[in-house]
Amino acid sequence: MMRALGPGSVSSFLKVILDVVYAALMIGVAAVGLMVISALVFSFNPGLLQGVTLPAAGASLASRWPTVTGGLLAAGLYIAGVLVIVGRLRRIFVTLTAGDPFHPDNVSRLRLIGAMLAALELGRYVVWAAGAWLAPELAKQRPGLSLTAWFSVLVVFVLAEVFREGARLRREAELTI
Amino acid sequence: MPIRVQLDRVLFERRMSLTELADRVGVTIANLSILKTGKARAVRFTTLAALCRELDCQPGDLLTYEAGPSEAPDEAGDS
Repeated sequence: MMRALGPGSVSSFLKVILDVVYAALMIGVAAVGLMVISALVFSFNPGLLQGVTLPAAGASLASRWPTVTGGLLAAGLYIAGVLVIVGRLRRIFVTLTAGDPFHPDNVSRLRLIGAMLAALELGRYVVWAAGAWLAPELAKQRPGLSLTAWFSVLVVFVLAEVFREGARLRREAELTI
Repeated sequence: MPIRVQLDRVLFERRMSLTELADRVGVTIANLSILKTGKARAVRFTTLAALCRELDCQPGDLLTYEAGPSEAPDEAGDS
């Protein structure tokens, strides 16, 4: 039987995976950030693009820079949200690997993950609405209400309360002599 | 907490140090300090029995009840 908690357990393996995902997301956020900045620079100084010949698809994109920049910004915010979730999950898994799942800080971490999941889901609707307004031909697919996403949000909030109760019991046990 | 731990007084009467008691009872000094300073939330019967055995006293010699402002169980749990 594999151990779920403690050093050398499943949680420590998952922690390594989360570390890798976190690093990849950091690179993703940085890349999207650079793209947003360069899109803004080129949009305010179109002269910089004069020497560059763009292929047809690129030219059509460049002509619609506000939509492209907005889309990039939305993508950046989305990745940043996922980064926050993965970051908090990493810290939770540090406590799991240390064999101390009911660390008091895990409650606020789980609550933040739940709030961030809800924000990302709401963001999806906002992005779709903005897309339908700015580029109606690209936003034909209406996003459905994702029951799975909202179910996950509620489950995470309930888990946060479970951890709060666990942290209370841990404190109680610590002060039992 | 209206329960007061009189460990200080009993230790003084027995001329015993906290370190010595910790050694005899098999409880860490840190935990005995928590008990002595009244920060403990609960005492196991096994610990209480070991304390009474080593200090040659009754539980009533170690613990006293002083009525004070009542604490709601939830508040006590969260604080």
